[in-house]
Amino acid sequence: MDALRKKARELLESGDSEVIIGYGEGSGNRARAIFVQKPEETERLILDDRCEQNLAVYLLKREVKSLGKPAIVARLPVLRTILQLAAENQLSDGDVAVIGISPDGELVDLPDFKAIEEYVDSLPLELSPEEQEQLEKIKNMSIEDRWRFWTDEFSRCLKCYACRASCPFCYCSTCVVERNIPQWIPVAPHGQGNLEWHVVRAMHLAGRCVNCGDCARACPVDIPLNLLTQKLDEEVFSNFGLKAGTTSELNYALSTFKPDDQENFIR
Amino acid sequence: MAEFEPKIIAFVCNWCTYAGADLTGTSRIKYATNVRMIRLPCTGRIDFMLLLKAFAQGADGVIVSGCHPGDCHYTAGNYHARRRWILFRSLLDFVGFDTRRVHFAWVSAAEGAKWAQVVNSVVNEVRELGPFEDYQKLARVGVE
Amino acid sequence: MSRIGVFICHCGENIAATVDPVKVAETMSRVPGVVHAVDYKYMCSDPGQNLIIEAIKEKGLTGVVVAACSPRMHEPTFRKVCAESGLNPFLCEMANIREHCSWVHEKSDITTDKAIDLVRVIVEKVKRNAPLYDIKVPVTKTALVIGGGIAGIQASLDIANAGHKVILVERDPSIGGHMIQLSETFPTLDCSQCIMTPRMVEVAQHPNITLYTYSEVEELDGFIGNFKVKIRKKARSVDENLCTGCGVCMQKCPRKKIPSEYEAGMGMRTAIYIPFAQAVPNKPVIDKDNCLYYLKGKCKICEKNCPAEAIRFDQEDEIIEADVGAIVCATGFDVLGTDSFPEYGYGKYKDVITGLQFERLASASGPTLGEIRRPSDGKEPETIVFIACAGSRDPAKGIEYCSKICCMYTAKHAMLYKHKIHHGKAYVCYMDIRAGGKMYEEFVRRAIEEDGVNYIRGRVSRVYEQDGKLIVKGVDTLLGSQPVEIEADMVVLATAAVANTGAEDLAKKLRVSYDAYNFLAEAHPKLRPVETNTAGIFLAGACQAPKDIPEAVAQASGAASKVSALFSGDELSREPVIAVVNRCPPPVFSTCEGCFICEQACPYQAIEREEIKTRDGKLIKVVAKVNEGICQGCGTCVAVCRAKAIDLQGFSNEQVYAEVMAL
Repeated sequence: MDALRKKARELLESGDSEVIIGYGEGSGNRARAIFVQKPEETERLILDDRCEQNLAVYLLKREVKSLGKPAIVARLPVLRTILQLAAENQLSDGDVAVIGISPDGELVDLPDFKAIEEYVDSLPLELSPEEQEQLEKIKNMSIEDRWRFWTDEFSRCLKCYACRASCPFCYCSTCVVERNIPQWIPVAPHGQGNLEWHVVRAMHLAGRCVNCGDCARACPVDIPLNLLTQKLDEEVFSNFGLKAGTTSELNYALSTFKPDDQENFIR
Repeated sequence: MAEFEPKIIAFVCNWCTYAGADLTGTSRIKYATNVRMIRLPCTGRIDFMLLLKAFAQGADGVIVSGCHPGDCHYTAGNYHARRRWILFRSLLDFVGFDTRRVHFAWVSAAEGAKWAQVVNSVVNEVRELGPFEDYQKLARVGVE
Repeated sequence: MSRIGVFICHCGENIAATVDPVKVAETMSRVPGVVHAVDYKYMCSDPGQNLIIEAIKEKGLTGVVVAACSPRMHEPTFRKVCAESGLNPFLCEMANIREHCSWVHEKSDITTDKAIDLVRVIVEKVKRNAPLYDIKVPVTKTALVIGGGIAGIQASLDIANAGHKVILVERDPSIGGHMIQLSETFPTLDCSQCIMTPRMVEVAQHPNITLYTYSEVEELDGFIGNFKVKIRKKARSVDENLCTGCGVCMQKCPRKKIPSEYEAGMGMRTAIYIPFAQAVPNKPVIDKDNCLYYLKGKCKICEKNCPAEAIRFDQEDEIIEADVGAIVCATGFDVLGTDSFPEYGYGKYKDVITGLQFERLASASGPTLGEIRRPSDGKEPETIVFIACAGSRDPAKGIEYCSKICCMYTAKHAMLYKHKIHHGKAYVCYMDIRAGGKMYEEFVRRAIEEDGVNYIRGRVSRVYEQDGKLIVKGVDTLLGSQPVEIEADMVVLATAAVANTGAEDLAKKLRVSYDAYNFLAEAHPKLRPVETNTAGIFLAGACQAPKDIPEAVAQASGAASKVSALFSGDELSREPVIAVVNRCPPPVFSTCEGCFICEQACPYQAIEREEIKTRDGKLIKVVAKVNEGICQGCGTCVAVCRAKAIDLQGFSNEQVYAEVMAL
């Protein structure tokens, strides 16, 4: 933590960065994102197990951009997010100073995208055993049970779109749900519209989700949304060998193809 | 009591399957009446949301059909479509959707007989599965 | 407000026998937005078409739906009718109630209901159709032909004779390609050089053709009708304007033992050289890798002796920029060398040669003046074994395809050998004989029956040297796989034809597709063999796949006719069914967020990047832009765009959604 505060202070004092996006104390003993602009205030930065949020979501927000050149405290999901955003032309090399954080909480110096790519390459990107178990549980259910499980979960959905707000990859200025000519996704929170919204969200994130888990954390009614994106992430990897957030060159599963992609259901 | 007849909506590409269905017609091969075709320039154009809308509109089954891989009039649209369906189908399955209601095929402009076969077998399969009431019921969940 | 006119065709009994057209028309008349709904026996006939013309005038129709046969049949017919009546043709669509309904179902209410559904779908679509106008793109009427072999030469002459300008770029010092290396051509045994050199001279003298030899395409930008090409004219070290082609420099050059590319390594050349006597242009080039001046700063004998004072050691590469409207790619092929075959000696046995090398021996202007002689000791070979399919049709060598021309040229080589050395023994070890062209089978029969060439059906496993002879171990499968061993004086391998070196790099520069073997990809294997999927770039000759001379010439003329069609107007007119990226008022400017997934997905690379700037040049955002000249309207970009910021004119999101909702 001290090393982090020191680094943040250096960045602000030298003028390399004008705002540090990091974690600070929030309400109810939770960590929250803070935006430090004065060197003295770097004392507010913390780093512990509560600091899970994907801070990269702020990099594309207009309000944060107006604060000036950012530096960001970057755990693995944030690093992968930065690479994926770069691949999608939303960030350029040098736009943001990256304060890398290793899984053990140590600072890692990552001066450019190439360094981030190499670092991410050295870390395991698979799901944790707990996450795997959750996913398996659903996969092992019968089809009827799965339908019941998900319609049950989605029945609580309020269409608050907190999941969308918390995801760094939902940066479209006019989201598809805001389109009303034609109205693809019904606005009202009924079961069918909820199912359609979550299916669309998962498909739009296929091959882009870096498994930060923020969507599930943000959901006020505790729907396990990350399971949907994790399942597609697994499919993208097993079918096409691609993983999101590993390179700053665009290699998106749904805009590329191999002439011999395999499937077993097309007549 | 009228026996249940499934409503099938088919999204087809103009250059292969639509032409193939034309050939079915020219050859006077009879097939089930349940299908309604929507013409699109290429399977690459078919957004997965269109399938969701078809079900929302009361379809009991959906067919998506286009050119064989390698033969796309626009060279690569069907390759992109294939990837899209691989992912979409696995997502539908994960969410508990019966993927026996969604069918994909490659039907070329010369395969008039195949189109009739595809339609007939899909209609039979979906008739067995019955009306897609689960999806229609969903429209009322959360509201009642 | 929509004012749609619906016209239900009976098509005689074709539709009326199973579908009730009166009921359909009547139901349609009650659909909101439909102001005119009638049925008629034959809509495509003159009176039928008149119904449409009158209705447009009298009822002020904003859209027309003709429910009849497939749009693939008559959409152009009815669109023309509308255009002539003053209604934008893209406001007219057809509902297919014949091929998709009346012809495939029995007569019943259900069939009529289905017809009603199908018409309703198209009515809802047309309500949301926007008038579209053909896109006009200007055309530069100059063609670029890359490659000066027979295909490139033919294409250049055809385009030039059609009255258009041609720039022909050839990377070797002279045009001629492989055909100029051949001795005689099958099946006529015409002297290859005799038939080709007149064409080469015609190219050089043609007023419409600008020839750049010893040059390569450096960079290509732009799109169909409007390409910008950069050509690198490599330095010959000779002033072409002063040089008279006298050849004194070659006589005096002290470096005489450089393997000649033209002779396929069978003969030598000097460091300053004209590749062959009939070269076009007949000007020398200095090979910088072998010239004593460039290597060590010495010599300069050519400069001292040149009567025209044309040697320029300080000459530099020149970059020439040109605007062209179409490109024909005719870069040809190459053959595998003998060193690709460990089983045949890795190229170490001097008397194991390729078919192309045999051509040079057989050629009257070749290193042996047309006498077949062993490269090792210059003696006449008494026995030659020709091995067909050396490398081709062989997954183990990574070449699964058939090289097409080898069966024929092997027969030819055997015949030429027998004609020159009557008592010689010629054996051809083959797998199959592929002689499909005109007079080809008769040619092979002639080799076997008249010239006494021995054909043995079986592959050769090994060739090795023993006591000055080459032992060829093969098998005769027509005699029950009996092993065969031949003591040969020379072995000629019909090695596989492969894509020419640099094909992949050129394909990337031109942005055309190529296959796993680096052959350039045609737009459709059956119906579009001379086009690529890159608009404005055409193919001719062996760069697309191995082929013989008649096919190369035919394809070249085909490509030339496509180019002439492209140049036939001052503007290119294109169907406006293309994608468009959304633009809207500030501060958003466009709902496109510039992720460029569409750019990656587009099969034609028709998406470009557009910078949206403030009035004083500050960048606001970079968004996608569709190039109207290239987009083919497949709609893949529309389906992958998450924000739906890109839409397809003619099959827009709104239209397709309305079609589904109508069911």
